[in-house]
Amino acid sequence: MSACGGQSSRRIAAVPPYKIKVVEPIALADPERRSEALAAAGFNTFLLRSDDVFIDLLTDSGTSALSQQQRAAMELGDEAYAGSRSFFRLEHAVQEVYGFRHTIPAHQGRGAEHLLARVLVRPRQLVPSNLYFTTSRVHAELAGGIWTDVSIAEAGDPESRYPWKGNIDVAKLEEVLRQAGRDGVAFVRQEACLNMAGGQPFSLQNLAEVRAITRNYGVPLILDATRSSENALFVKRQEESYANLSLTEILQLIAALSDGAIFSSKKDHFVPIGGLVAVNDDDLAGKLRELVVVYEGFPHYGGMSGAAMEALAVGIHEAADERIVTHHLDQVAYLASLLDDSDIPIVQPPGAHAVFLDAKRFLPHLSQTEYPAQALAAAIYLAGGVRTMERGIVSGQHGREAYDGLELVRLTLPRRVYTQEHLAYTAAVIADLHRHADQIPGLRLTFEPATLRFFQARFEPLAPFTLRHLITSGRPVATKILR
Amino acid sequence: MSGLEFRTIIEPFRIHSVEPLRLIDQEARGAAIRDVGFNLFGLQAVDVLIDLLTDSGTGAMSRDQWAGIQRGDESYAGSPSWYVFLGAVRELFPFRHVIPTHQGRAAEKILFTAIGAPGKVVPNNTHFDTTRANVEFTGAEAIDLPIPEALAPSLEHPFKGNMDVAALERLLEERGADAVPAVFVTVTNNSGGGQPVSLQNLRAVRAICDAFGVPLFLDACRFAENAWFIREREPGQGDRPVAEIVREMASLVDGMTMSAKKDPIANIGGWLAVEDDALAERCRNLLVLTEGFPTYGGLAGRDLEAIAQGLQEAVDHDYLRYRIRSTAYLGHALVRAGLPIVRPTGGHAVYIDARELLPHIPPLEYPGQALAVALYEAGGIRGCEIGTVMFGRRPDGTEEAAPLDLVRLAIPRRTYTQSHIDYVIEVCSAVAKSGPQLRGLRMTYEPPALRHFTARFEQIT
Repeated sequence: MSACGGQSSRRIAAVPPYKIKVVEPIALADPERRSEALAAAGFNTFLLRSDDVFIDLLTDSGTSALSQQQRAAMELGDEAYAGSRSFFRLEHAVQEVYGFRHTIPAHQGRGAEHLLARVLVRPRQLVPSNLYFTTSRVHAELAGGIWTDVSIAEAGDPESRYPWKGNIDVAKLEEVLRQAGRDGVAFVRQEACLNMAGGQPFSLQNLAEVRAITRNYGVPLILDATRSSENALFVKRQEESYANLSLTEILQLIAALSDGAIFSSKKDHFVPIGGLVAVNDDDLAGKLRELVVVYEGFPHYGGMSGAAMEALAVGIHEAADERIVTHHLDQVAYLASLLDDSDIPIVQPPGAHAVFLDAKRFLPHLSQTEYPAQALAAAIYLAGGVRTMERGIVSGQHGREAYDGLELVRLTLPRRVYTQEHLAYTAAVIADLHRHADQIPGLRLTFEPATLRFFQARFEPLAPFTLRHLITSGRPVATKILR
Repeated sequence: MSGLEFRTIIEPFRIHSVEPLRLIDQEARGAAIRDVGFNLFGLQAVDVLIDLLTDSGTGAMSRDQWAGIQRGDESYAGSPSWYVFLGAVRELFPFRHVIPTHQGRAAEKILFTAIGAPGKVVPNNTHFDTTRANVEFTGAEAIDLPIPEALAPSLEHPFKGNMDVAALERLLEERGADAVPAVFVTVTNNSGGGQPVSLQNLRAVRAICDAFGVPLFLDACRFAENAWFIREREPGQGDRPVAEIVREMASLVDGMTMSAKKDPIANIGGWLAVEDDALAERCRNLLVLTEGFPTYGGLAGRDLEAIAQGLQEAVDHDYLRYRIRSTAYLGHALVRAGLPIVRPTGGHAVYIDARELLPHIPPLEYPGQALAVALYEAGGIRGCEIGTVMFGRRPDGTEEAAPLDLVRLAIPRRTYTQSHIDYVIEVCSAVAKSGPQLRGLRMTYEPPALRHFTARFEQIT
């Protein structure tokens, strides 16, 4: 807590609409330990042990804090193999909040993506999408599909302040559909709060246009609705005609403009595990149910326990609570404003679930083939025990194709887990590091897995990489704050 | 790193699970407080946004405490959970006999039933209200012997909770050792503003007790916060682990009463610990009458586990640094906003001097109650009057002003974030600015005893 100074006028974080029910101790490992841990992890933050991490901003997926209502509901879990009461509660929650008729449960988002790709994608068919998400793309490609980017140009420009970077380029989409024809396209995918662009929303107007085109060509439109709550709040805040609607009403409008959606419930729904496909069409639902038994589980649990489905059903309702979603967005904006105050290059405007550092501008002395974002993520861990994630060439390059796209480090905020002071600490660590940015060396890839290489790749630094090398003036910030 | 030197502390935990807060608007709050006769004890907790009524049993347990709750063994006798509890208590307080109770006041009840009687007198640095009630219930006399500095709210003193050693010596000389079954020291001194007691003072009290052959007991509810203050403020103690300081505090006394709802961050529980075999036997006999078998004493096995884990967390330095600094953060901010508070800020609460803040409201129109009501109406914050409403009625039926009219803002452990506290600061500042417009209260219903819990009021127009 700050011991002096007045209330900052820049402070955005509002009073959390909750109080703390259960806490989890965290501790900062000393610099030598952090250095050893980083080397043992091959300079890949995915490979760190969480005990060595102080503030964990690797992902918002499955890392959020449950509410006491969710914990209580878990005690009610009906673990029947078939006909579980808990499944019907889940199905009902999806109908009430989003309005989709059919719910096919899966153990998590990628399970849902797998089912959908198996059912909808045939070899050589296109899957036009706003940018991509790692696992969504892999599932479409494993089914023989061809991923096609139809994002707007602003999505790839970290310095553009355009408010709807999650939009689809309607002209580009129309062109793709016209050339490929109805049979050449598996489905069009639009992702809410587009992760790879920095958690950026689409407008309801854009979705309606995409809907009109896909209907024209008779191609299904499937949402990745994983972060639809935050997208709905952006719509309410930024799209005037929807300002007076409730979050639930906007979520229903979004769902009604699609043929179905996949959810990784580990994000907006706060649960540590779970996901689902939701659709309206009876035939499509039938096909998905045939496959869910093969890969996930019986259609009344789909790989989730009864307890997990209960927590998810409650979480779906909480994800439509405007105060809860507002607080999450405000926390992200708060962290972004602290970084912006220190002139740290970040993707603007701040998105839904994360603040993204622009590693190309943070480390201008490194070329992209020296993995600047990977190196920056490693340096942030070393400097303050803060774990972040690379979202650049390591996760974005496919095969040998050239990559000159975004080179970002993602600081992802788990929902309801960290307080304002944790975020202030994180910003201080990064600001301190920024002053010594030229000391951060590039990396060389020493081990590269065949698919989704960012999870398990290993690296070596091109020059000495210790806290002493990174921060030469005075004591490192982490020590100062904790004394 | 300009400015960063001043950012001192962050929560040494992250949030594992949350509890929603309900915001009701000012109009609804006005209706709610009128309905309960302007007595905050009558409010439903769901109508409160930030609940600073007490730090007792309202803390957030840790993931590890919850794991202990899942593990709790409910055997009636000799449960493994009992031995986990016993080990954790003895690690810090190595007394021969540990007697579990359902909460602190039950430990007091048993001890004073065993040692109190008409004609006896129990000195304490300052009795907590239930302690005083339990002493007086046996016919004994409860006497407060704080150092004089404790009575001056604006005076800074590092160990304002200390006992007046000279006064204790005089009392023992005048009344004789036989009339004093035990001397008590309360750490931290709750009624005196959550102020700590120094090791030096405890040693001096011990020396006098030895000279007169009188046992010395700790009311140890906030032992860890007290030990942290010793580490921070007492010469020569700065390098010692808190657990070691706690063990030294324990070594200076013959027994203790304890509420586990405070520093051990449990929702329920307490214990009595003594060195003397005969006293322990008398206490255990009383225990089985009113509390339970000696290896659970009215607590479930799961509660014993949660307390045992909480005791380890209570002496963690990162946690205590955060705890004490967060309380100071609120105190400093209120001082900057121009509010008079009891200084220095104590361990678990900040006390606003309502009489000083609202000089236009005479003590018999209850300035503390008026301020507490205003904080609720303005921002949904529930504090607690500690003043003329609580202490104003004399045993002879007359009413007079209490020595101080305070509002206590007690901070539950690990429950609220800095944003919540910033909000409290904002509300307090706004209420302080509108102070001259606040009105006093008239009591319209007064129960025969402990009137502050159920009295009703109306606003004086």
